[in-house]
Amino acid sequence: MIEGSALYYDGLSNKQHAVTLRIGATLEIVEDGLMIAGWPFEWIRRADSSDGRIRLRTTNGSDLARLVLIDETFARSVLEACPRLEHNDPSGTTSTGRIVFWSLAAATSLILIGLYGIPFIAERLTPLIPASFERRLGEMADSQVTTVFDATPCQNPDGVRAFGKLIGDLQKTTGLSVPITATVVRSGVPNAIALPGGKVYLFRGLLEKAESADEIAGVLAHELGHVKHRDSVRILLQAGGTSFLLGLLLGDVTGSGAAIFAARTLLDASHSRGAEAAADDVAIESMNKLGRSPQPMGELLLRITGKEDRGLLNFIASHPLSEARLQRMSASPPAVPGPPLLDAGEWAALKQICGPSGQNTKTQNPKT
Amino acid sequence: MHDPIALPGSIPTSAAPPPVNRIDFVNEGGTFLRMLARGALLLLVTFGFYRFWLSTSIRRHLWSRTSVAGENFEYTGTGRELLIGFLFALAILVPIYIVYFLIGIEFERLRAFTSLPLVLFMAIFGQFAIYRARRYRLTRTVWRGVRFWMSGSGWVYGLRAFGMQILVALSIGLAYPWYAAWRERYKMRHTFYGDAPGAFEGRAGQLFRRGIGMWMMTIGMALVFMIAAIAMSAANGFSHLPRSGGTILGVLIALWLIAAPFVYPYLKALEWRWWAQGVRIGGVSMQSSLRGGQLLKIYLKILGWVLLVLIGWGVLAGVVAGLFYVSFGEFKSFADLPLGAKIASGIAIVAGYLLLGLTIGVVQRFYSQHEVWRAVVGSLTIQGVASLDGVAARGEAANALGEGLADGLDVAGF
Repeated sequence: MIEGSALYYDGLSNKQHAVTLRIGATLEIVEDGLMIAGWPFEWIRRADSSDGRIRLRTTNGSDLARLVLIDETFARSVLEACPRLEHNDPSGTTSTGRIVFWSLAAATSLILIGLYGIPFIAERLTPLIPASFERRLGEMADSQVTTVFDATPCQNPDGVRAFGKLIGDLQKTTGLSVPITATVVRSGVPNAIALPGGKVYLFRGLLEKAESADEIAGVLAHELGHVKHRDSVRILLQAGGTSFLLGLLLGDVTGSGAAIFAARTLLDASHSRGAEAAADDVAIESMNKLGRSPQPMGELLLRITGKEDRGLLNFIASHPLSEARLQRMSASPPAVPGPPLLDAGEWAALKQICGPSGQNTKTQNPKT
Repeated sequence: MHDPIALPGSIPTSAAPPPVNRIDFVNEGGTFLRMLARGALLLLVTFGFYRFWLSTSIRRHLWSRTSVAGENFEYTGTGRELLIGFLFALAILVPIYIVYFLIGIEFERLRAFTSLPLVLFMAIFGQFAIYRARRYRLTRTVWRGVRFWMSGSGWVYGLRAFGMQILVALSIGLAYPWYAAWRERYKMRHTFYGDAPGAFEGRAGQLFRRGIGMWMMTIGMALVFMIAAIAMSAANGFSHLPRSGGTILGVLIALWLIAAPFVYPYLKALEWRWWAQGVRIGGVSMQSSLRGGQLLKIYLKILGWVLLVLIGWGVLAGVVAGLFYVSFGEFKSFADLPLGAKIASGIAIVAGYLLLGLTIGVVQRFYSQHEVWRAVVGSLTIQGVASLDGVAARGEAANALGEGLADGLDVAGF
């Protein structure tokens, strides 16, 4: 029988026991000639040690009990007797491989959920969100918009009448069920926005850049498309979902940090491009029903944005490329051409809705 | 200890028992650095999931290299526990996050941009997480077969800590010693090693007296500058600063801005000394001789290495960009490049960014964890270890929920 000396902590108190170890059926711990514990060899694991002595623990029962082997030659024979000494050591190669494998699996699943699952869930949830919630969101967005932009309405009566006619036509063709409040506002930014709950703002900046009523009509139809699809609610759900998902991946539920920011930008942009393309579809369909070509809208967009192809940066763009949008719109002329939406006088009145043409030609990146 | 029965071939006790009142740290910086480098790569390929196992390895290393009376500490936590804690934390944080989000919408509707106060709730929750995380780490700390543990309420701590932090902010830092003394007292009074209770005997007044000079040099000076600027502009009828006075003030402020950060390590060292002196576990007490210069050196090394890493990666990026230009120079703009080149450059940029971040992470972890730990433990002397002989085991292992919350809320504490 092989024996050796060791120090033993029984895990019940921190008293150091000078013991004798015997390699028998188990690792027998003997104090004063009495066997006080027996550790089955397959349960024995190595415990952290930094002074060169071997420290052992056992996984059956008393998990804080420790053995410190003193005698080196004896320690070797103990180690040989323990078959699973390094089992489940998280720094070992097998454990690390497992961690890598499951992390990759989790990451792949989360990325797929981000790209396909979240848009799908948002799509299904959007109709369930009550209209009252959407109106509330709209009020919130409205109070922010009016802080950031000059949202004083333009009220030249002839212009308002022309604008009303245009919106009335579009509302019929887009098949909207919710009432729409559309206003031309004084801000010089060349843009138009649709808020949750059916509020649409056309900024004077865009009106000034427009050369025909069809250009404006297309943009408005696009915005009505957003309202029809309840895109604000959907985008809100998608953005919230994306933050959660990436928080899960990278460990920050509130969603800050550079990596999260980057991944979120990519996912949100991909979701947003999808919504924009769908709104363009509404615009194309609506213009076709009115017997007008959607092409002027595409030309207006390209005139404002300029050439857009920026290589890889396209992946972070919130909108499809203006070139691509124009191409799609040019490819869909109406089957039966119809009369102009506004006559020359009405168009001139709409252009003058904010008073005589202003000097303000401040341009910013549009988000039509 | 009883006389062991002499069995053939057995030597019952070690040759020379180590001195009892000793605390040591075994410096294996190379091993630690290799562990960090490997961990950084694994963080990359696991999209960050490896962080639970990396912080476990770091703690195991630091704990096991630290010994008192010749017996090393042991960290018995596992990465899996941290992962589970994190998942539980998500289950709690997700509904809170949704409620937070909805409340935010309500408030925004009432008036734009007013949901900020809600951040305060999250701040209290962060303190709660810090307390619970400490409890987890403490109950995974084992020495001589007995674990440390902790009682007390994370909520009581979180609420009071938050309240006192507001006082500290209102008093522009002057109330800090009282906050620190309360904080350490609360934590240590609820800390136990087996059945040996902890205590904290550091006094706020002590910390205040020792630190007030440094407060004067930093925040005090800033106040002086502010008053001087107001006084000078007042003398000028509040229109503008007189030119000469303004220049002198500007130079002084510039000097102050350069000098003030150097005070931080000295303040930190002072706090460490005060803390070590105040901590009691059973009859054990400590003294620290940590010098501010030691910490300053560590911080400067971090700065130096980060600069070197930036320069190194910058040169590498320059070379890669140069090669790229040589190969594709005939194209006038990025848009004209062939698709393969666009993708390759995109991958190179992302990889460069990630590797840079990971390298800086390794440098930062090595110095702020290993080197600071080494300096602090190396500065300690310890008395009364014999009073811990025969301590009986008490306390249960706590769950890692706090760690998960701290991870989720991005807060850290010691």
